[in-house]
Amino acid sequence: MTYPSKRTLISIGVGILLLVVYVIYALGDASPAPDDLKLWALALLVYIGACIAAGIVIQILFHIALAIGIAVKEKPGDDKKVERIIKSSMLEDEREKLISLKSSHIGHAFSGFGFVTGLIALAVGSSAVVVLHIMAGAFAVGSIIEGCVSVYHHERGVPNG
Amino acid sequence: MGKKLLITNKIRTLRFFANEMTQLELAEKAGASRQTIMALEAGKYTPSLELAFRIADAFGVSICEVFEYKKEEESK
Repeated sequence: MTYPSKRTLISIGVGILLLVVYVIYALGDASPAPDDLKLWALALLVYIGACIAAGIVIQILFHIALAIGIAVKEKPGDDKKVERIIKSSMLEDEREKLISLKSSHIGHAFSGFGFVTGLIALAVGSSAVVVLHIMAGAFAVGSIIEGCVSVYHHERGVPNG
Repeated sequence: MGKKLLITNKIRTLRFFANEMTQLELAEKAGASRQTIMALEAGKYTPSLELAFRIADAFGVSICEVFEYKKEEESK
């Protein structure tokens, strides 16, 4: 499995974990009142912040793990080669951009579907908190789907065009 | 409609004849990542015309000597 696939899989795992934690919080006793939109918005902001922070930490940890992994594989003392391999592995070339484009296209489509579902829910009389969670959930699941599509293209290949 | 095109390449063979050029060296010369070169050799990616030219240039051969295409099957 390639380095970008491993990184994406870990990101998906952490994303699912954070989503589960949020769902447990939302369904638990400590959650805000169903009509307290301000507190729900705050809870969602904290959740989004945690997702961003986790993403940054994963990037840093994976960079370190990659450097250690390559240094162990290569001959000791060949720092320049290790640096070259890391630089090449981290390079975002046309294939990376194509995979990113294809996967984000599917992720965005799912998020858009969630937005429309939220509007429909609002139209049929659901509360603003429910609509907020439908939209936030669609973005979270869309992001997870985006990661899955990215791993699929990294492993199975991606046609150009 | 048209026929589906299958693009194959001889990158692995050309690397062998280029004094066992490593994937890393080719990636650096072509301005691509090592994973892209691996994917190309495994037939999991078809490069853009620009990258194809850069790879051919890295070997000092024409693009036709690196890549070839064949009509595979009727596309739906």
